[in-house]
Amino acid sequence: MAAPLELSCWGGGWGLPSVHSESLVVMAYAKFSGAPLKVNVIDNTWRGSRGDVPILTTEDNIVSQPAKILSFLRKQKYNADYELSAKQGADTLAYIALLEEKLLPAVLHTFWVESDNYFTVTKPWFASRIPFPLSLILPGRMSKGARNRILVTRGQPPFYHLREVEAQIYRDAKECLNLLSNRLGTSQFFFGDTPSTLDAYVFGFLAPLYKVRFPKVQLQEHLKQLSNLCRFCDDILNSYFRLSLGDG
Amino acid sequence: MWSGSWRVRFQEDKVSSFRKSKTAEPWPENATLYQQLKGEQILLSDNAASLAVQAFLQMCNLPVKVVCRANAEYMSPSGKVPFIHVGNQVVSELGPIVQFVKAKGHSLSDGLDEVQKAEMKAYMELVNNMLLTAELYLQWCDEATVGEITHARYGSPYPWPLNHILAYQKQWEVKRKMKAIGWGNKTLDQVLEDVDQCCQALSQRLGTQPYFFNKQPTELDALVFGHLYTILTTQLTNDELSEKVKNYSNLLAFCRRIEQHYFEDRGKGSSSIRSS
Repeated sequence: MAAPLELSCWGGGWGLPSVHSESLVVMAYAKFSGAPLKVNVIDNTWRGSRGDVPILTTEDNIVSQPAKILSFLRKQKYNADYELSAKQGADTLAYIALLEEKLLPAVLHTFWVESDNYFTVTKPWFASRIPFPLSLILPGRMSKGARNRILVTRGQPPFYHLREVEAQIYRDAKECLNLLSNRLGTSQFFFGDTPSTLDAYVFGFLAPLYKVRFPKVQLQEHLKQLSNLCRFCDDILNSYFRLSLGDG
Repeated sequence: MWSGSWRVRFQEDKVSSFRKSKTAEPWPENATLYQQLKGEQILLSDNAASLAVQAFLQMCNLPVKVVCRANAEYMSPSGKVPFIHVGNQVVSELGPIVQFVKAKGHSLSDGLDEVQKAEMKAYMELVNNMLLTAELYLQWCDEATVGEITHARYGSPYPWPLNHILAYQKQWEVKRKMKAIGWGNKTLDQVLEDVDQCCQALSQRLGTQPYFFNKQPTELDALVFGHLYTILTTQLTNDELSEKVKNYSNLLAFCRRIEQHYFEDRGKGSSSIRSS
């Protein structure tokens, strides 16, 4: 496939190629499947907000959202899952659903809703990469979006306030991390020796949580106790992203 | 509490799948499950949830009486149906009900190891994430279904104009949720595609086994049964949704098997599960 594939996504920091979970999922999948992606990191020269990031651009297509991008890459014959059995493919879907339902709310909360984290780390980082005057608006919008998502999906009665929801979502996230750790065990990747879609998703969700330095770190502390998950993230960073970390 | 002959009859039944700890608290005879009115009001997604809980309780051999009330949604502590009233406690939704029943000493998943438990939870999330969301989408975001079925059914117990107001309010709530999780821009075809993917995953996981974790059913089997059976037996504006499920013969056999084991052979006591 000679058509150039360009990915627009948020940039990296703290040793990661990207601090944005969804961008990281796509980047990891591209590395695992051997897709030649040209990564365009969003910086101050980026014009306007075109909707969700990451966005994959080819000659005739624009694809957004990680699930659709991965599907598109698979159709272009960049498939990281061809060695998986049917049952493993089914397990992949199930575990991704688990990640999105149980882990994602807490990750969103840690990055975008927890005030200490948001105002000292997340907002300045994103604002510095968005051209003025959007830098005043976009981070706030992303934060509201995250808060809204958490409340709409998890803020049902008897929880009426964000505080009450918080306790529950962190509990769920810790349980999810434990389940992932149990499932991974001592293997290098989730399905044998080669990484697949599930590894990309887990890496995308866990790596920012693991590496970004936050003031309020309860979920990060829990993750650091699960040494096999930390080893999993470090292995992928070292094997697949080492060469591109020149400028951090 | 438990009359001798009644208990013996249940024990002598086909292989029971629940394990009871020695310190199990007695399950009261007047345990009740509340849902909306079966014939005129209840919608696909709520019916599926209710059936899943009924199946789970049947699998645990815990009798429950099904009572239909128009305001079941408002009676529920979490706003969702079904909910059960056991003793002096009220618990709603399958997840908390499973926990509650476990605290009383009954569990279907005690025999699973840690990896299997993780898998079971993951597949339950898959069903909630894809099947339930697709059902909600179809009911509330597909204009044809909304106009012909949902609005009329949802508001049916209430007088005008309350019936319209409540239906619009609910529709707004569901649309808001769809937008928050990224389903707002999906077309019906994409949603049906997702349903197909989900059914394919379930079918591949089930394989040729009788239940998802081989010989004994678990709460995952109850949840999958609740959704698939309801999809197969509910009349919608067209058959596209049920056709997706019918493509997988092992899923059809699975539904039939659970229906036979846990509903047809138990005789009367709880109301029939056939939807109108």
